[in-house]
Amino acid sequence: MIDTIIIDGLTFALPMFIMAVGGIFSEKSGITNLAVEGLQGFGAFTGALVMVIMMNSMGNGTQVPYYMSFVAAALGGMLYALVHVILCVKFNGNQVISGVVVNILAMSLTSFLTRRINADFFGQTSNKFILETSIRFDVPVLSGIPVLGAAFTSVYPFEILIIVVAIIAWYVMYRTPYGMHLRACGDNPHAADAAGIDVKKVRTVAVVLSGGLSAIGGMSYAYSISANFSPDIYLGFGYLAIAALIFGNWSILPTLGACLLFGFARSSGQAIIQKLGMPSTFNDLVRTLPYVVTLLLLVFFSKNNRSPRALGEIYDKGKR
Amino acid sequence: MKKYMVKLLGGEKHQMLRISLFAIVVSLIFGVVVLLIIGNNPFASYLNLLQGSGLAPKRSYAGRKNMFTDFMNLLDALTPMIFASLAVTVALKGGLFNIGVSGMMLAAGFAATVTVGYSSLFAGAAKPLVLIIGIISGALVGALIGWLKYRFNINEVVSSIMLNYILMYVFTFFINSYYVDPVSRQSTNINDAARLTIVDFKAFGLKFDIPLAFPLAIIVAILIRFIMDKTTIGFEIKAVGLSRTAANYAGISIGRNIMLTMILSGALAGLAGVTYFCGYVGSIQPGVVPSMGFNAIAVALLGCSEPIGCIYASFLITIISNGSIYMSSQQGVEIEIADLITAFILIFSACSEYIRMYVSKAAMELNTAGEKKGGAQA
Amino acid sequence: MEGSEYIVEMKHITKRFPRIVANNDVSLSIKKGEIYALLGENGAGKSTIMSVLFGMYEPDEGEIYIRGEKVNITSPRQATKLGIGMVHQHFKLVSNYTVAENIILGSEPQNKLCGIIPHVDIKKANADIAALSEQYGLKVDPTSVISEVNVSTQQRVEILKMLYRDAEILIFDEPTAVLTPQEIEYLLEIIRGLRANGKTVIIITHKLEEIKAIADRCAILNHGRLIDVKDVKETSTSEMARLMVGREVSFTVDKTEAQPGGTVLKVENLTVCNELGLEAVKDVSFEIRSGEIFALAGVSGNGQNELADAIAGIKPVKKGRVLLNSRDITGMTIRERIEDGMAYIPEDRQKVGLVMGYSLKDNLAIKNYYNARFSNHKIIKEEAFEEHGDRLINAYDIRSSEGNKTIVRAMSGGNQQKAMIAREIDMNGKLIIFMQPTRGLDVGAISNVHKSIIAERDRGAAVLLISLELDEVMNCADTIGVIFDGRINKIAKASELSVNEVGEYMMGVSATGVSAKGGDAE
Repeated sequence: MIDTIIIDGLTFALPMFIMAVGGIFSEKSGITNLAVEGLQGFGAFTGALVMVIMMNSMGNGTQVPYYMSFVAAALGGMLYALVHVILCVKFNGNQVISGVVVNILAMSLTSFLTRRINADFFGQTSNKFILETSIRFDVPVLSGIPVLGAAFTSVYPFEILIIVVAIIAWYVMYRTPYGMHLRACGDNPHAADAAGIDVKKVRTVAVVLSGGLSAIGGMSYAYSISANFSPDIYLGFGYLAIAALIFGNWSILPTLGACLLFGFARSSGQAIIQKLGMPSTFNDLVRTLPYVVTLLLLVFFSKNNRSPRALGEIYDKGKR
Repeated sequence: MKKYMVKLLGGEKHQMLRISLFAIVVSLIFGVVVLLIIGNNPFASYLNLLQGSGLAPKRSYAGRKNMFTDFMNLLDALTPMIFASLAVTVALKGGLFNIGVSGMMLAAGFAATVTVGYSSLFAGAAKPLVLIIGIISGALVGALIGWLKYRFNINEVVSSIMLNYILMYVFTFFINSYYVDPVSRQSTNINDAARLTIVDFKAFGLKFDIPLAFPLAIIVAILIRFIMDKTTIGFEIKAVGLSRTAANYAGISIGRNIMLTMILSGALAGLAGVTYFCGYVGSIQPGVVPSMGFNAIAVALLGCSEPIGCIYASFLITIISNGSIYMSSQQGVEIEIADLITAFILIFSACSEYIRMYVSKAAMELNTAGEKKGGAQA
Repeated sequence: MEGSEYIVEMKHITKRFPRIVANNDVSLSIKKGEIYALLGENGAGKSTIMSVLFGMYEPDEGEIYIRGEKVNITSPRQATKLGIGMVHQHFKLVSNYTVAENIILGSEPQNKLCGIIPHVDIKKANADIAALSEQYGLKVDPTSVISEVNVSTQQRVEILKMLYRDAEILIFDEPTAVLTPQEIEYLLEIIRGLRANGKTVIIITHKLEEIKAIADRCAILNHGRLIDVKDVKETSTSEMARLMVGREVSFTVDKTEAQPGGTVLKVENLTVCNELGLEAVKDVSFEIRSGEIFALAGVSGNGQNELADAIAGIKPVKKGRVLLNSRDITGMTIRERIEDGMAYIPEDRQKVGLVMGYSLKDNLAIKNYYNARFSNHKIIKEEAFEEHGDRLINAYDIRSSEGNKTIVRAMSGGNQQKAMIAREIDMNGKLIIFMQPTRGLDVGAISNVHKSIIAERDRGAAVLLISLELDEVMNCADTIGVIFDGRINKIAKASELSVNEVGEYMMGVSATGVSAKGGDAE
């Protein structure tokens, strides 16, 4: 049972983590990002589309389409993030409103395109792109460790990908000049500007990266939850990722902790319910846990919870 | 180009209205382009939207149906949308962003369904009770969000998102455990006595739905406008919304008004919830946060955050979503295109502030250019 | 242009803003290695001309030469490349970064991890900055976080930021406004050290003593025009003051002897904390009688804001009591105080005093809209709002484009101020608090405000006038209190104090227990 909890917990936590990292990139630069939900969905859409096209042309038996689908998802998410960039960074619109609208557009746009593409290119009436089931593997040696070995058992390749990308993202955020500029823009854009940093450029890149990272999460869910892309991808995991990053106080490592907590709470809840023979409907109660915990955290520790100082503020150079 | 934009959208008078209309027109043009690309006749498609909404006659009707039937159906869908967008509007006036309309709707719908909806009360008592329970449950959720905001300084956007999902999962659990209809996988339909829409009412040889709460929606919109513009309650709420520090300095209680705003907004969202779940639909789909709560944000923006504007904006958005079924059956076009056009209207209305700034800047440039020219001639 | 003696030449600079000409044909020539002061009243155009030099504004007319070469400075970034640095009045620092991170921001030293992966070399940065701070005698700890160091350290960080970028021309915008006397002395020492290291320093200020203390030459601006450039050694402070104001300084307000009555406001051992939770007002006691103007003098950031806000009920009181007409109002709400006859003109009219998005008539009624006069069973009487608005507009000559329906945001600053003062005076309060009432007003408007202050006194109100302008204090006060570092260190009849004495008390000199703590950060 512990094995299942660890395996399922990680499978759920890691995609959410990379989405949350995406959210952190945007929010640390000062742009509120409720668009994670839409970004992950749109990314999953482009990834699934490329996967389907490649499977049709290359046939089965190769892992290339699988990896290409993540590249395509990331690119699609980055491209789609430009909508948020245009609304918030270019047009100085309200960032919350923009996030909501970007999500609504993502849902309608991907549903429309999926149907249309299915009809025009594959001659079928369907709102889904059926994906190949992802392979899973055991990490040699490590999977043999008692108990903890489960973390290395029955691993989706995307879990490795996510960890690698997250490490790179962490490095970019905390060790490179760009990361330093990004965090400065979220705290005091005027200071960044005075230091010769192009605030709008930094934020544009941050939101675009946010789109790419969210998309990797969305694509992972498309593989792990349903092995297809359909409007069901908009289950609200993007919003859960936002809860995770708030819980993690806008820092990457604590956010990983939050995601693991959410993931294991979910998987152990499910396991317990199964074990006790309770009806599966109880899973829905388990699912409220991350939200309840985050809300309670905010109630009791709101003093220690510090969002980036300039978060959501419109930065207009003319205004001083 | 600049000149025409300024002419069209410049000046203070009804500027927001004109910009909203501009957003709509541009989006509809965009829809034309999309429809052309996918090989459909855009005008026939738009006509279908009107026909499907009962605003234009269809070529043929099924038995006991005509244009009026479709129109009543439109009003049925319109009613909750008006309430929902009013909920967003009231919050915006108070400087708050109510993204929790969905959760409030669910709370109201669920509370009314399991209490009155499944009871054997007679219609005369059940229907008002549904409304009252809706108002109270929505207001309670609103009060919670308001309280978290002013007592713990928790951003209302964040707490609303959390509450949306908490409520959704909790209700999903109860519905799936106790109230599920094994065929539809939704909650069991509520009793007709409690339902705010009279379904399949037979008269004049027709069979149609009567949204009983529609007149209430209009009255409430007018009432909200009155409260906001003509009473000291609205005066305080708007002052707090425009500047918390200045309102506080003037002796207006911030906490009280944040609570009041969220309670009012929640009550309206509650009305949206009951008119939707206990009226238009009659049941609750588990596992889903109703998208109307999010669409309402955009509808409120499109309606220039004004109560009366919400009526018009809701009307437009509902025509598109309601008429799309007929359009898709007639044109063989994907039903999703309606959502797509709606989404584009929302995107453009989200840009309204930018358009306003752009126009006033362009107007200034044109003015100074004009002055220079005039100076050179003199 | 080899060997030009001027490092900066600004020729015939004109900069217009929508309502005013901020700089009108101003030409400045600054020598390498000198300390050059720009002197002028608020709104004289000193900050604007330096913003032009620093690339924040582009001039409408005129040319700039740096080291003899004509340049076109369009951004601070470009100014930095030309060796120009600026310390702004409001520091531009990232609050959660360390001192070192703030200094290197935008020009980070880089290193390669394993020879390939680039990263910010924070070790090198820390070492460089330690060396730099040693060289110029600017004490900082590179690893401490900005939000945890005091204002004077933050200012040193700003200076180091310029030096780190090898700036040769250093601009200081009102650098001493937020500092204590000791810190000012230290800063002036630093500036002298900069000159000794061959840097050129431009300092914007309206404090004559500082100019006398360190500047070599001084340009005097008035209403956007350059009045004169003086050699500081050969010019007396009174001469500079005369040029700065453009008239003889000794303008006084006509007022009769005060006829004080009973005590209206009594403040007892009041202690108030600022946003950071530090005590900003410490154990302050004083009282004001009806028909008396009590002027509180002090340098900015010594607790004046917190004191006024606490009396008005906006900030909570930590210790002590406030009594209005012998009634303890310490725990009362803002509205109760207003109803008890307290009027308050706050310093920040845009954020606090007015709802900028409301119309003029709404703003003029915002403190009593709920009275029977303006509403009936919560329903607003529109005509009453309009009538009240029009009456005040006429009585106080408030100008706006659309009368009582004008949105306040669209009005000029001076008229916004007039509207706020009109509203407060019209309340016929027993106590009126004027906080910096003439900030940003022109001379004519200032004298009108002073007249209203005295008229209020003569009506029998108790007036608390809090001002940073010493002239204003000396002209209006019946009684003067001086606040320094949160404590009132002198209260006396106005007639018993000279300007110099008040100035000394403001600096904390001759007070008991001079403290070196800074004011609050913002």
